[in-house]
Amino acid sequence: MPTFTDMTKCDGCGECVDICPSDIMHIDPVYRRSYNIEPNFCWECYSCVKACPQHAIDVRGYADFAPLGHKVRVLREKEKGCVSWKITYRDGRVKEFTFPIRTTAWGSIKAPDDYDPPDAESLRSPLLAHEPAALKVAALPALAAAAK
Amino acid sequence: MLFVTNPFALLAESIPPLFMQCYIALMILAVAVGTLIDLAHKGSARYFALRRQKSKAAAQKQLGIGELVVLAIRTLGTEVATSGEFCKWARRLSHLLMYYGFVIYLVATVLMAFAYPKAAHTPVILATAWNIGALMVLAGGGWFFFRLRVDVVQERHSPFHLVRADLFIGSLLASVAFGLGWHLAQTTAGNEAGLTWILFGLYLFFSTLLFVSVPWSKFAHMFYKPAAAFQKRLEEANGSSDLPRPSNARYIVR
Repeated sequence: MPTFTDMTKCDGCGECVDICPSDIMHIDPVYRRSYNIEPNFCWECYSCVKACPQHAIDVRGYADFAPLGHKVRVLREKEKGCVSWKITYRDGRVKEFTFPIRTTAWGSIKAPDDYDPPDAESLRSPLLAHEPAALKVAALPALAAAAK
Repeated sequence: MLFVTNPFALLAESIPPLFMQCYIALMILAVAVGTLIDLAHKGSARYFALRRQKSKAAAQKQLGIGELVVLAIRTLGTEVATSGEFCKWARRLSHLLMYYGFVIYLVATVLMAFAYPKAAHTPVILATAWNIGALMVLAGGGWFFFRLRVDVVQERHSPFHLVRADLFIGSLLASVAFGLGWHLAQTTAGNEAGLTWILFGLYLFFSTLLFVSVPWSKFAHMFYKPAAAFQKRLEEANGSSDLPRPSNARYIVR
């Protein structure tokens, strides 16, 4: 089910435009609110739904196989580290689910720009960027041959 | 001189005050008519009435007058007075600068044009408020226009790539910028200088555009926003909100 923005709730902050991996969330040139320019290309990752601070983005099925009338609403509570979904079926049934999305405080994860850029010598190392410090261990086990 | 002189009293030496007062009255009328056209065209009133009905039908709790008054006060204090609905501090601050700047500028304009159109001794506070209000709009608006607009920041468009959504902010910024420029020219080059008249013409053009373009611009959001914010609070309070219930779980451990 692709996403769509309820323009009466959107405040045009651009979080969804920023996060969409498919680059299909854009700003409407008339109302300056976000909208999904191409639902067919939506990966349905729901990053925008979870990122929206105004809870303005819902999801809905394609009208050809999922007749309209249902509703999917999302509430992200970043201070609790969870996202809740409320599904209202066309026959009136309602189901609610809550999922954990993280265990660390919101904003505590450093962005790639916050790290020092690796030097050329790092290309010879079997370690990935910022390992082992980023894994909070002193050293990673290595094969004997690689260690030599 | 700039901050202590009434620009409309200086203008009254060339243009009758009645002309200015009629112009302001016409602009107020244009905003009222434009908002009504906008309401009818977009169906906003119908949408709100429908949403109100749905909310009433789905309400799990009937709210008393006292609770409604508390909700209205909270809406006034949070969304209207401090733009609390904005989640980013920069957008909130720039919006507040524009909002309060525009209100101060507008009130000072109306008072100076109607109460002191010819007075040599307009209260200094009014002239100062007019200038400070315009500068606040320029500061907040310029910040938004060049550094905060999503199509500029996130979509990497040029700040000068203008779309219809820019009609309100563009005409507002141009109006106050040319207004300040005109006042500066009045106090330095003189009331009769050619530059003063050119800047006055531009000020008049963009001010007219700002108030006459209400059906096509975002101007009317000033009136819709409090209504939408109140409705949102009402739905949360009476249990008719379609959002999931807040979770009792807490997953943040570090």
